[in-house]
Amino acid sequence: MKYAIEVRGLVKSFGEVRALDGADLGAAPGTVLGLLGPNGAGKTTAVRVLSTLSVPDAGTARVLGLDVVRDAAKVRERLGLTGQYAGIDTGLSGAQNLVLIARLLGASRSQAKTRAHELIERFDLAHAADRAAGGYSGGMRRRLDLAASIVRRPDVLVLDEPTTGLDPNSRTGLWEVVRELVAEGTTVLLTTQYLEEADQLADSIAVIDSGRVIASGTPSQLKQAVGGLVLRMRPAVPEALGRLAELANWSVGAAPRIEGDEVAVPVAHPGEATAVMARVVQAGTDLAAFGLHEPTLDEVFLTLTGHGAEQKEEVAA
Amino acid sequence: MTTTTTWTTTRGPLAQAASMTARSLASIRHQPAQLVDYLMIPMMILLSITFFMGGQMMGSWQAFLDYAGPTLIAMGLFFAIVSTGLGLFADIKTGVFDRLTAMPVSRFALLAGRVAADMIKHLWALLIVGGVAFAIGYRADGGVLGVAGAAAAVLLFLFASSWSMALVGLTAKSEEQIQTWMVSLLMPLAYTSTMFVEIETLPEPVQWWARVNPLTALADTMRVLLAGETPGGEALALLGWCAAILAVFVPLSLRAYRRKLTS
Repeated sequence: MKYAIEVRGLVKSFGEVRALDGADLGAAPGTVLGLLGPNGAGKTTAVRVLSTLSVPDAGTARVLGLDVVRDAAKVRERLGLTGQYAGIDTGLSGAQNLVLIARLLGASRSQAKTRAHELIERFDLAHAADRAAGGYSGGMRRRLDLAASIVRRPDVLVLDEPTTGLDPNSRTGLWEVVRELVAEGTTVLLTTQYLEEADQLADSIAVIDSGRVIASGTPSQLKQAVGGLVLRMRPAVPEALGRLAELANWSVGAAPRIEGDEVAVPVAHPGEATAVMARVVQAGTDLAAFGLHEPTLDEVFLTLTGHGAEQKEEVAA
Repeated sequence: MTTTTTWTTTRGPLAQAASMTARSLASIRHQPAQLVDYLMIPMMILLSITFFMGGQMMGSWQAFLDYAGPTLIAMGLFFAIVSTGLGLFADIKTGVFDRLTAMPVSRFALLAGRVAADMIKHLWALLIVGGVAFAIGYRADGGVLGVAGAAAAVLLFLFASSWSMALVGLTAKSEEQIQTWMVSLLMPLAYTSTMFVEIETLPEPVQWWARVNPLTALADTMRVLLAGETPGGEALALLGWCAAILAVFVPLSLRAYRRKLTS
């Protein structure tokens, strides 16, 4: 089996709206596929189809080689879902939520309690295990939700915008857990609106817009295509702009641009930025400000949709 | 890293339904005030109609309580079946059912768990409100056996009719819509039966309907049992109605569930 998740020509309409319009996706076993796109791009629809909650109008979706429509029951045995709206019961405690899931999946009372306890510990919820989940913070809810989707360890885990609305600490914590699961062999499909998140977690990224995959590849391929990291420097005196651009050019060979009162230097990784900075400091050029910037999703989209087909071919893996 | 516990057992739909029932009742532990909520509708209907209208209808409220007390309780509980619809609606809205539907869990168990939990709430309300009726002076000629029989008849009917509310909860667009169903369907159904009026007092065109109304079958069966008599045709009519309601609404609810959550 080449792909643990395989989607071909998937179409799904809601009335006049084509939520998915011929989407293709593939994730090799044990890898993370990031589905990157803005609101309304079709991410959640793809998640619902893969987790057997929605039947596509056309195309096929396979999870571990099983068709999500014909073999829906078998897919449910091996897939875990964390939806965008936390699927936890706010009237139950965190521990009760996990026990319920375990019991529904066939665990005995004591097995269910043991497993719930393990997950509560692992997801750092011990202090709130017996409190009603309705009172949990956003980060705690997300952790409980993720714990609930791995009660019986799934072979494929689908996460729909798992960190939207979370503070940076909770976000990093959740990323750690996802990495651990992948290390244990789980294949993950993750939707996100954040390029950084896809970059951090995904082995491959598919950029989705209006129900179609408009670009796909590894994070570095994608970042190269959209410009990747940019080092921005503002000299203390405007006259030094030209000299600064020359220094940056000399260092890495990438083409720096002068934008307003700044020099923008595309770099492949933070190490290159450090090298450029070292040149600038050595040359004795005073800087008023500098910073390293990730391209935002907006910039990715502008680049990908603004350049047409050529750009798409370049990015295709 | 923790060790991953795995188990290979599976449990049948009934065991899964029992887990769902326990889940629906577990929230009581965090919000015990719910226990009072379940009583309010039947309690208020019994007390207000008995005390404020009973005297006018039958000369004294005591006489009215003897005639209509048990059926008023049944009517109050009948209005409470709307909770099955509201509960399912909430489960779908919050996303809880998305997760459960993506799991290898019987769809019947998810719905039956809710209905069963509501039945336990109805039983609780029946015990308390029935106790109140006893406290203010209601006595049945049929004794304990008659009361138990009448209670069983009520619970059977509530069980069947709860499935109609399951369908409403799965197809409604909003909570308000579910409440509207209660007012526009359950109330007329109750008022055109022998729940607390005699058939002869109803307008002529309504009388034929009152005779076949399932709630008339329930009221008549309860009266026969409470009087200590042997039930006959009215009990058969009640059983027939319950079977018919289940035969229609269980499959319709399951179909509505599939359409709502996997379409």
